[in-house]
Amino acid sequence: MSTIAEQPQFTIYPISEKAVTVEFGNKISPDLLYTITAFGNLLKENPFAGMTGMVPAYCTLTVFFDALAVAKADMPGNTAIEKVSTYLDGLKQHPVQTTIRESDTITIPVCYGEDFGPDLQEVARINDLTTDEVIRLHGSVTYLVHMIGFMPGFAYLGGMPQAIMAPRKAKPRANVPAGAVGIAGLQTGIYPLLSPGGWQIIGQTPLKMFDVTITQPSLLKAGDRVRFEPINLSEFKKIAKAR
Amino acid sequence: MKIQITKPGLLSTVQDLGRHGYQHLAVPVSGAMDTLSARTANMCVGNDANDAVIEFTYGDAGFKTETGALIAASGYGARLSVGARPIPLNKPVYLPAGLNVSLNTVNQGCRTYLSVAGGWDVPEVLGSRSTFLAAGFGGFEGRKLAANDVLNNTGQLSATAKNILDELSGANICYPKWSIPQRDLPKIKTIRVIPAREFNWFNGLSITNFLTEPYSLSQKSNRMGYQLNGPLMQRLNQQELLSTAVIPGTIQVTGDGSLIMLMADCQVTGGYPRIAQVALADMPLCAQLKPGDTIYFKEISWNEAEMLYIEQEKDIQKLAASIGHKYAF
Repeated sequence: MSTIAEQPQFTIYPISEKAVTVEFGNKISPDLLYTITAFGNLLKENPFAGMTGMVPAYCTLTVFFDALAVAKADMPGNTAIEKVSTYLDGLKQHPVQTTIRESDTITIPVCYGEDFGPDLQEVARINDLTTDEVIRLHGSVTYLVHMIGFMPGFAYLGGMPQAIMAPRKAKPRANVPAGAVGIAGLQTGIYPLLSPGGWQIIGQTPLKMFDVTITQPSLLKAGDRVRFEPINLSEFKKIAKAR
Repeated sequence: MKIQITKPGLLSTVQDLGRHGYQHLAVPVSGAMDTLSARTANMCVGNDANDAVIEFTYGDAGFKTETGALIAASGYGARLSVGARPIPLNKPVYLPAGLNVSLNTVNQGCRTYLSVAGGWDVPEVLGSRSTFLAAGFGGFEGRKLAANDVLNNTGQLSATAKNILDELSGANICYPKWSIPQRDLPKIKTIRVIPAREFNWFNGLSITNFLTEPYSLSQKSNRMGYQLNGPLMQRLNQQELLSTAVIPGTIQVTGDGSLIMLMADCQVTGGYPRIAQVALADMPLCAQLKPGDTIYFKEISWNEAEMLYIEQEKDIQKLAASIGHKYAF
């Protein structure tokens, strides 16, 4: 459990007639992630009339609204942007006593190497490691989902050990399969859908990361904690069949 | 009501007003590029503004009516005809079964919307009927329309739609005298923009160029975004920007200083500096731009932009209400 008791510091700027961005800082950090998540929860519990959604990112929370509804709403301010900005600024005065329960850790089984991880050997070579060491290091830490971006359900994970970092591929692949686990620089991530991609692919998970047929389509969301667990091919097949 | 696509044209997709509320999971909004024309097509047949329409890109497309159908078309990319007989835009049209309707390219814009009474019947995916091509979901099987695809209406006709259908249906092509007024696209296309968060990251000459020089759409333009040809922007700093939310209309500056205008299918976050945001009221005009078109940017304030947007929304709501009133009984 961690409690955010202090007042968050932020600046607010419009990005559209129907969206403003709340900026909490300019560096990626777990603390900032907690603050953004807490503020997002506070806003979810105290929405304003006409609010339509929010998008958390590394250092920002962007709040979307129906400009017509806000313009009509009885809120202090002359324009919709002003009304929303004033409202969000007011939440700052609100003691942010939102407690974030550290989310359960989601374990992602991964079958590393061979056909599932065509770049595993390359990542090992770049870092002067064996492929087993890469697998062990990749699974040795708990990662934080800083944001979902790039494509539906794609989680940007923070916390990867420096010892296995690897540059993007010089030539992106035309088709990276859904479930592929990749490394790019200090980041690691899972491709939720078949797509082109330039990350070094070291393995694949049999889990469905994004499923449009269910109401919570994304397995991961900002603020989640993630661990990777190596599995073998027969376990992969078993999980893939069961899902 | 049922049609079969005989010729799909360059890119035809089913769209509504977009998939909202899933951007935090990186699901783009998608939806009709030109929301004004899409809504005009819908209101002509008594539909809800958010009912699914077909978005055609240019003409060179066609469909056949398998049953009688109450349809409307609106936009700037094509004119409709049955043989030599033109089918007017911006009004409800009853088409009997067995007609071959063709869409013929016109030079003004590029996108035309086809509505049907009750809306096109495709399943809702995450609360929307819009096609998101890059991930292959929504709309008609998550893909662009192809020859021989058959589309039905939902059968859920509003009272207005029923009354329009009663007035027009019969053995012949039939439409009323009235139509929704539609402005021609301006010859000189000036897009109003509001300076965005990183506007001041660029030097004075770049800013002057941006607000006075012409830009043109490159061939690398699609529903995700437009690459613009024109003077390059020069940075005053080399500060890195961490990915943050972007939305359609955001104008980003890429590493080489060129401009990208994000459109309906754009990603939900981006890490390029943002020089400006297109006023929402001018997004329908942007939606009709074709590769090679020349545009100019003009700076306005957030207050002006919000006023323009609210006026435009009120106008279109009034038009829809007047059709509802006309066909109330």
